[in-house]
Amino acid sequence: MIFRRIFEALPGSLPVRILISAVLIAALLVALHFFYTWVGNNYLDTGGGVG
Amino acid sequence: MSLDDTRDDAIATPQQLRTRLVGAGVVSTALRVVRGVGWSLITLGLLMLGFVAHQLWITDFFADRAQRGLEAELTTRVAEGAEVVAYDPATGEVSGALGLVPADILASGDAAAIAEAVRGIGDPATTPSNFDVPGADRFLLRETAADAGDPVGTIRIPDIGVTWTIVEGVRTPQLRKGAGHMPDTPLPGQPGNAVVSGHRTTYGAPFHNLDDLAVGDSIFWDSPIGTHEFVVREAPLIVKPTDLWVTNPREGAWITLTTCHPKFSARERLVIFAEMVSGPNAPVIYGQT
Repeated sequence: MIFRRIFEALPGSLPVRILISAVLIAALLVALHFFYTWVGNNYLDTGGGVG
Repeated sequence: MSLDDTRDDAIATPQQLRTRLVGAGVVSTALRVVRGVGWSLITLGLLMLGFVAHQLWITDFFADRAQRGLEAELTTRVAEGAEVVAYDPATGEVSGALGLVPADILASGDAAAIAEAVRGIGDPATTPSNFDVPGADRFLLRETAADAGDPVGTIRIPDIGVTWTIVEGVRTPQLRKGAGHMPDTPLPGQPGNAVVSGHRTTYGAPFHNLDDLAVGDSIFWDSPIGTHEFVVREAPLIVKPTDLWVTNPREGAWITLTTCHPKFSARERLVIFAEMVSGPNAPVIYGQT
């Protein structure tokens, strides 16, 4: 529901909105990757180094 | 107004109560709140599932890809040959490189030929300017220096099914390749205590089952100077992440493996101490020459 609202609120024609959506999703995935990497490296498994 | 009249006004039937609440907008507000909480929980759950998938599979993908590249790089390093250094057993002091033993002599595995090459390079009469360890009467083979992130050798632990290329360095970028050698400690096979740290649950988890090792199990180290065998001398030890003493120098040649403990937590460290029992430098380090 909320995703549909966001999609419909995007400017431009349908192909433009699809393109913007793809870019937004890619940016979200990249941001999530860095966030997950940071959390994992700091709290789940630092790599086992000492000091 | 009688007492009975008052009672009729105060006590509403469920139908009347519902009508009043809907009229006042209370029901629609409550539904919106419940729906919002529900969607938030679903989103949070999906984010957590994504985190688990990322840690278990995406990091493995990056480590596997790095490992494939490292194997080729290590082959190149083997072709560089090995340095010869002077070694003073009394102080543990090691000189700078006196010269290089060519890779083809090392690859032949001919101990006599390797020893002859080492003696030829280490002879103070032929290389006086580099012979900077006065008490040295022995010579060691040593890998050429590696930059951070470069492969330095392959660790094999048959008892827990580990075969992993180790890189130089234990900072986050290097450990994303799986496991790394701690700078400022000697490489495995050199005198002292070589420290190798690796991931337990992510980035290929090379040391996932390190706690299954027992006293007497073997650890092999393949490097440009040859193959070494280490034997676990102590039961797995649990220490704090700040317990730097585990990296202290040791007499002889040791390898110390460290990883996170318990699994899926970085709260503590699991440590394995293993002593070298064979390798190109073992006779020199243990005074059997």
